[in-house]
Amino acid sequence: MSGALKKGIEATFRDARVETPGDGRVTVFVPAESVPAVVHYLKERGFDHLTMVSCVDRPDDGELEVVYILSSYTNDPRLHVIVKARVPREGGGLGTVIGVFPNAEPYEREIHELFGANFEGHGRLIPLFLEREYAIPPFRKDFDSRKYVEETFDSIPAVQDE
Amino acid sequence: MDRNQISKWLKAPAKMAHKYSLHAVYFCTGCGIIEIPPVITARWDAERFGVIPVATPRQGNLFMITGYVSVKTLKAIIRTYEQMPDPKYTVGFGSCPINGGMYWDSYNTAKHVDKYIPIDGWIAGCMPRPEAVFIGVTHLWTLIDKGMANGYARYRKNYAQYRRNQEMLFGELGWPPLYPIEDGAPGGDE
Repeated sequence: MSGALKKGIEATFRDARVETPGDGRVTVFVPAESVPAVVHYLKERGFDHLTMVSCVDRPDDGELEVVYILSSYTNDPRLHVIVKARVPREGGGLGTVIGVFPNAEPYEREIHELFGANFEGHGRLIPLFLEREYAIPPFRKDFDSRKYVEETFDSIPAVQDE
Repeated sequence: MDRNQISKWLKAPAKMAHKYSLHAVYFCTGCGIIEIPPVITARWDAERFGVIPVATPRQGNLFMITGYVSVKTLKAIIRTYEQMPDPKYTVGFGSCPINGGMYWDSYNTAKHVDKYIPIDGWIAGCMPRPEAVFIGVTHLWTLIDKGMANGYARYRKNYAQYRRNQEMLFGELGWPPLYPIEDGAPGGDE
């Protein structure tokens, strides 16, 4: 299954690179602009469940790596397809996959909020969890958590009971 | 009724009534709520101590904050607290409401809940055993007896400071002050 899948993906998408470590994972590296097409292709191939969308900050490369994990209820359930796409940290964006998997909506909102990645075509990129504005999105590796706590929470004085 | 307490009942009936009818609002933040079902059900049976969960904050007088307090949750905690009728007692349950606990350097967790609402007692631990809740309740009885569980009075008295702290964290709060803030009060107009 994973061998045929690899061949199929590489034949359809010239710029995709597929790795099959052989432990039930099929990792697909694609450019950011072809993510919706690849995810749509995988759904056609029977991967009908978007398990999660995640993100990794790569400050050394100046990029964010957005990770889509797909599994299947109809194919071999032990097989997972991991689609990875990289976008620039500043001003980078990639197309939304809500059209293919509607359950991507909160994941993309969360990644937009916590990492600062932009999803083009997402109609509702408003804050999901956070109540405050952050100068740097808080899940990025250059976000100094302790300094932020000192400035924000520790600077609030205790209540003095006269 | 315990005969030894008859004199107490005659001296301060209201206090005794408050002591033995603690209607608890369990604010289920974080992991602390996992200890609450055994506390209120047959295994430990909090009703022996007069503690019973209520449906809405407007019926309760004991407010238990069980677990870490994220900034968004804190807003709900303040609103819940302000809805409860006086006299009300607040207990922070677990390490996280005390000083942040394991979330001491988290970007979105309010570390000291007592900066925003008054707290009458703490139950330390991560997590505290259900027995600790009952030790906390008996301590609260002592505090009520001595008139030291006066968080609701302190909230009214120092409301300017509490409101200032809440606004420092949230910016605009979106609801009017619960009590009038006089000009020149500490933190009133800054």
